[in-house]
Amino acid sequence: MGGGKPAASRRECGASPWGIERVSSVPVLELRGISKEFPGVKALNDVSFAIDAGEVHMLVGENGAGKSTLMKILCGAYRADRGTFFHKGQEVAMHGPADARKFGVAVIFQEFTLVPYLDIAQNIFLGREFSSTLPGLIDRSRIHAEAKRVLDSIGFDIDPRTPVHKLGVAQQQMVEIAKALSQNARILVMDEPTAALSDRETELLFAMIERLKRDGVGIIYISHRLSEVFALGDRITVMRDGRRIASLLPGETTPDKLVTLMVGREVDATYTRPDRPLPGKVVLEVKNLSATTGFSDVSLTVRAGEIVGLCGLVGSGRTEVARAIFGADRASAGEIRLNGEPIGSSPEDSVRRAVALIPESRKAQGLALARSVGDNIVLAGLRKLFPSRIYIPRRATKAARSVIDKLRIATPSPRRPVSALSGGNQQKVVIGKWLNANAQFYIFDEPTRGIDVGAKAEIFRLIDNLVHNGAGVLMISSEQIEIVHICDRAYVMRAGRIAGELSRDELTEANIVRLGMHQ
Amino acid sequence: MSTTAIPRSARNRFAMSGDVMQMLYRVLALLLLGAVLTALSDVFFTTGNILNVLRQAALLFLMASGLTLVILAAGLDLSIGANVALSGCFAASVIKLTGSPWLGAGVGIGCGAAIGMANGVLVTALRIPSFVATYGMMWILTGVTYYYMGGETIHGFPPGFRQLGSGHLFGIPVPVYVMFVFLAIGVFFAQRTIWGQQIYAIGANPVAARLSGVPVERRLILVYVVSGAVAGLASLIVLARINSAQGDIGEELTLPAIAAVLVGGTSLFGGSGTVGGTLIGALLLTLVLNGMNLLQINSSWQPLATGIIILLAVWIDTRTRRIGE
Amino acid sequence: MTAQALTRARLTRVPGVAVALILLCVVFAAANPGFASPANIANILTQSTILLMLALPMTLIIMTEGLDLSIGAVLTLASIALAMTAISTGSPALGLLAALGVGACFGLANGVLVAVFDIPPFITTLGTLGIAQGLSLVVTDGQSVVGIPRSIELIYSGSLAGIPYPILFAALAYLVTHVLLYRTRFGTYVFALGGNREALKVAGISVRGMLIRVYMFGGLMAGFAALLLTARLNSAHPTAGIGMEFDSIAAIAVGGTSFERGNGWLFGTLLGVVTIGVLRNGLNLMAVPSSTQVACIGALVILALFIDGLRGEA
Repeated sequence: MGGGKPAASRRECGASPWGIERVSSVPVLELRGISKEFPGVKALNDVSFAIDAGEVHMLVGENGAGKSTLMKILCGAYRADRGTFFHKGQEVAMHGPADARKFGVAVIFQEFTLVPYLDIAQNIFLGREFSSTLPGLIDRSRIHAEAKRVLDSIGFDIDPRTPVHKLGVAQQQMVEIAKALSQNARILVMDEPTAALSDRETELLFAMIERLKRDGVGIIYISHRLSEVFALGDRITVMRDGRRIASLLPGETTPDKLVTLMVGREVDATYTRPDRPLPGKVVLEVKNLSATTGFSDVSLTVRAGEIVGLCGLVGSGRTEVARAIFGADRASAGEIRLNGEPIGSSPEDSVRRAVALIPESRKAQGLALARSVGDNIVLAGLRKLFPSRIYIPRRATKAARSVIDKLRIATPSPRRPVSALSGGNQQKVVIGKWLNANAQFYIFDEPTRGIDVGAKAEIFRLIDNLVHNGAGVLMISSEQIEIVHICDRAYVMRAGRIAGELSRDELTEANIVRLGMHQ
Repeated sequence: MSTTAIPRSARNRFAMSGDVMQMLYRVLALLLLGAVLTALSDVFFTTGNILNVLRQAALLFLMASGLTLVILAAGLDLSIGANVALSGCFAASVIKLTGSPWLGAGVGIGCGAAIGMANGVLVTALRIPSFVATYGMMWILTGVTYYYMGGETIHGFPPGFRQLGSGHLFGIPVPVYVMFVFLAIGVFFAQRTIWGQQIYAIGANPVAARLSGVPVERRLILVYVVSGAVAGLASLIVLARINSAQGDIGEELTLPAIAAVLVGGTSLFGGSGTVGGTLIGALLLTLVLNGMNLLQINSSWQPLATGIIILLAVWIDTRTRRIGE
Repeated sequence: MTAQALTRARLTRVPGVAVALILLCVVFAAANPGFASPANIANILTQSTILLMLALPMTLIIMTEGLDLSIGAVLTLASIALAMTAISTGSPALGLLAALGVGACFGLANGVLVAVFDIPPFITTLGTLGIAQGLSLVVTDGQSVVGIPRSIELIYSGSLAGIPYPILFAALAYLVTHVLLYRTRFGTYVFALGGNREALKVAGISVRGMLIRVYMFGGLMAGFAALLLTARLNSAHPTAGIGMEFDSIAAIAVGGTSFERGNGWLFGTLLGVVTIGVLRNGLNLMAVPSSTQVACIGALVILALFIDGLRGEA
């Protein structure tokens, strides 16, 4: 990063790099040519981004498009491999969070950094308390007064002495925003702020955002809700596969065009869907299922030999449905039947009935990291493998080896600790666990998350084999392209309900995205 | 076999036979300690002393064997000492009352198991963290024991029964035979039954275990019941040896039992360790305490030494985990 | 308890321990005419002071999702150090300094083991409990330390304007802890240690430093409490403070501070301490042996935790 040559205003530059005419002054913060790589994946590729004072800049894109990575670089949590930063036209260094704070960047996290049993004012000024005249003590009244001032400035009318644990999610978010503002934030990054809010609360948030705009605060707003994007945004930037695809004014585009920009990509040719035999009888039947974990009135069916997708945005309730079917969570209403008989009372019962769950987080939920590959593989099938309940290591090793061979798990021996394997191989172990247990119905929750392209294709082939041998598969994935390629049909969830079902012909990425988003 | 190319250097470095290596190191440490003590004290390597050490270690191992299962499942049982006291006192009363050692033994073991069941329920159903639940249970049991005994002592058991604690068979103290029996049972249960495998899995990752169909709550209750029953059995040996029962027996066994399990290589965080390791741990610990006695070190230093050993063992455990992650 | 009272206790935090306290007082007063006499009540309060001085810092430690099982043993060792120093130098002030030194040392050790070495608090303090207990036995050879200067003994038996000194001490300790917890940065951060450590990290506060300070606070309070203990016994005995950590945890649990989430209620601890004091006193008057009293306290704690669990789900 060379010397401090100021970026000329775009007018003087002539052809604008943005493709749009901007008449405002120099942006508060500008990133140019940002690239970032992680082992095995190029997260950001030559991305440029700018935020002006008093604008709401919408950032849209699918999961994995690079939005969070870009924001993490913006706030100094990550360091860019390449690229330059400009603050009010001057080139600056961005080495870490302290620098970002200097430039007034604040991120409103989804996991709040609030202390539940302290009050709002104490939370806002955590670490920056005002001292009172008496030594060692803090000036509570001043903290409360200052807090009230900040809260008023965003239109949040509440007693700053309210303990935070009594606040709803929306109010806690407001406190987070107040906290950021009290540290002189001039740029706020909000990641899906309305995800957990009611309509009324959303209105209040928007009113507050208007206020902030008037004060000249720039807001970067990440959202999947197209209605918001068009209602609130002054500018929209679309990202895809780590690149900035386009920056548009809301007036220049439509929701459909945006969706097309978000999902358009080259087809992944390493996996081709084989012909499948016609599906057999109904294996899983779910009727009007509801649970307090976050979904209601869900109905779906899966037949033997078919792969049914379950799509939707993160947080739409897919994992919760899967867990309820498997018996890991209790349902509050509705019924679940496997081959006609009720199921879903407990994971133990599900395993006995030959149902498998490959959970979302393989390290936290799918594997016993301290144990060996072989131990993990045989865990679910212990009862079937050893009906006498006597454990014979030789038999276990043999069973483990056979699974290792069948799935081509890269490990020199079943005795290797499973923590030493790569992500893809670890996922194979999780799947292998169920081969060993002779499962007949599989629920996959994000089976290829964090796995590189080569291993992904292998996993797809594995799943193909399963249904070829007559199993039924319910597959949750946030990657629409996967669903389109591998599934026979799919259900799309939105905000805890089934938004629609797509047959084979209707199964396109655009349709999935359209159904999954709020209109 | 595997068709992918793994560099030869990495092939066996982290193979799970590391368990065997760990055991070897500990046996080595044991032999070393024995050598050191022989050098430092004339009395150490005499028949009388060795038999004494074995008898002590056997009792300690017995207590620690059940505890090993609990710790493997990532739990803790601080109540075993107090369990010994209550179960022992009940058993003693029954023996005196009915004259039947068998009935007394049944009561002792049954009482121990019932206490274990109570612990298990507190941990699984009431979701009280295991160290809090068993700590509270320890105080409750102590209180009940003292109330029951009223400060008195029960004396004099039938000679047949006393053989259990102070008798010899072919020159070797009876408790040592019990130790070997329990070693066999313990190793068999942990390594050769599916319940043992499930317990390891629960300790390593209870969520993954549950989602793999392991009945986690039932197994947890099982390990606490076993730990309690074993403590009940240990109380019988204590009774047989000191030929009396009073409110505070077994008190001094809790900390050393925990130390024995940890020194034996079982991780406090669950999921790894062996019953065999606990045996070595029990021997190591008994040697340390025996050595302190022989070297005329004030016995008041013993709880201190045990405490330091526990802290060291846990610290090494945390460091090893950190490297492994 | 009527169904109504049970529901009330189940729904709100405050009446829970107060209900228990009032109930116990009523029961004991009925069973024992001597219970409700002013002399006995003063007795209860005076005897509860040492426990209060342990329970106050323990409340903070529990709020940080930690535990200090060694505080009773540290109290014992500190009182021995105080006695021995006071006797050999003739100065009670130096004795107090010695006691505080012992408390600070163990507090520092606990804090460092938990914060820097990442050893779980209950194991750490179990270990330091053993160490402190061992040291107490070794240093005294199992015997009491007698011959305490008279001035120390007066600290327990004397009074100012009719209020016994110990109660004044305890009131001062409560006041200090209250100010510390609710009116200083330290106290604010204690809430954060248990409620959301990330918040502290984001704010740039050293979590390790805070943890060490919290455990040291415990050690220092134990040092001060040692003064009262030595004064009460007019001697120092190696088994004097054993079990007080249990009583203090019980008092806190009964008082409503839960073991997680960084919430603590100092006044609840006070009520809990008085409740335990009342329980012990009442059982004493009924000639129930000490260890059985402990069993009752244990049962009370389990009940408190159970109700706490119910409240949590309500």
